[in-house]
Amino acid sequence: MTQNEINWPAALRAPDSGEQAAAVKALRELLQHGLRIALHGRGDVSEAHLEDFAQESLLRVLDRLDQFQGRSKFTTWAQAIALNVAFTELRRKRWQDVSLDALMADGERMTEPAMLADDVLGAEEDRTRLVATLRHAIENDLTPKQRAAILGELREMPFDQIVELLGTSRSAGYKMLHDARRALKQRLQEAGITGADIQNAFNL
Amino acid sequence: MKREDQRLTSEQVAGIVKMLGLTTDREFNCGECLQHVSEFAEGRLVNQPVGEVIAKVEQHLALCPECREEYEALMKILKAGR
Repeated sequence: MTQNEINWPAALRAPDSGEQAAAVKALRELLQHGLRIALHGRGDVSEAHLEDFAQESLLRVLDRLDQFQGRSKFTTWAQAIALNVAFTELRRKRWQDVSLDALMADGERMTEPAMLADDVLGAEEDRTRLVATLRHAIENDLTPKQRAAILGELREMPFDQIVELLGTSRSAGYKMLHDARRALKQRLQEAGITGADIQNAFNL
Repeated sequence: MKREDQRLTSEQVAGIVKMLGLTTDREFNCGECLQHVSEFAEGRLVNQPVGEVIAKVEQHLALCPECREEYEALMKILKAGR
């Protein structure tokens, strides 16, 4: 039987059977194989890491079996979960030494011309005006935590790490960032800079 | 964070501006994106037309570098299996 012919959810739910044990083993191997392909060439990932990620992913997939709705192949759905497990852990390790104080202090510096120079996007008048408007909005319309969160995102700090440092939940963190983006966008629009202008200027 | 790394680069500022251009009132979060990214990826593989839910995945991927990184890795696996 090929992987595509297996009814994975049924096999993984089969109670105390050889079928279930075989399905669990096959899924763990499949996830590890996928992770090996996806993470190939990374210096921070060993074979032991791949085994740990595959085991952790397997548990996560089994825990979320009821959430699989059949809109994709089961194996694609499971691989997406495995990648989320692996990348989340790799990002956490990379950023584990950053402190709340460093994040907040960095966020505050976003209002300084030296950090957000008028000509950072080029010397054209519309671009310098856009950056000046943006800096003014960052200074006046965002809270210190919003500034820190946005800068953390720009630095590619993991979202989990940002919300942990700021002492908030994921959902509150999403709302905080979404509100910040909407406030900045509104301020640009009030200055006559529309979403279409932005999209045209940056070939979105 | 080292002092010399603190100045925002043109790419980072362009990143903020692009992010604002893509901001809408109702967006997927990372969890919702993860729920749907597998069907999005399979659709992409065969150039399937984009529906409403899938459009929200696409918008989230444009805004979220973490989910985009995972999506690109998923595509790598799917393409290797073709």
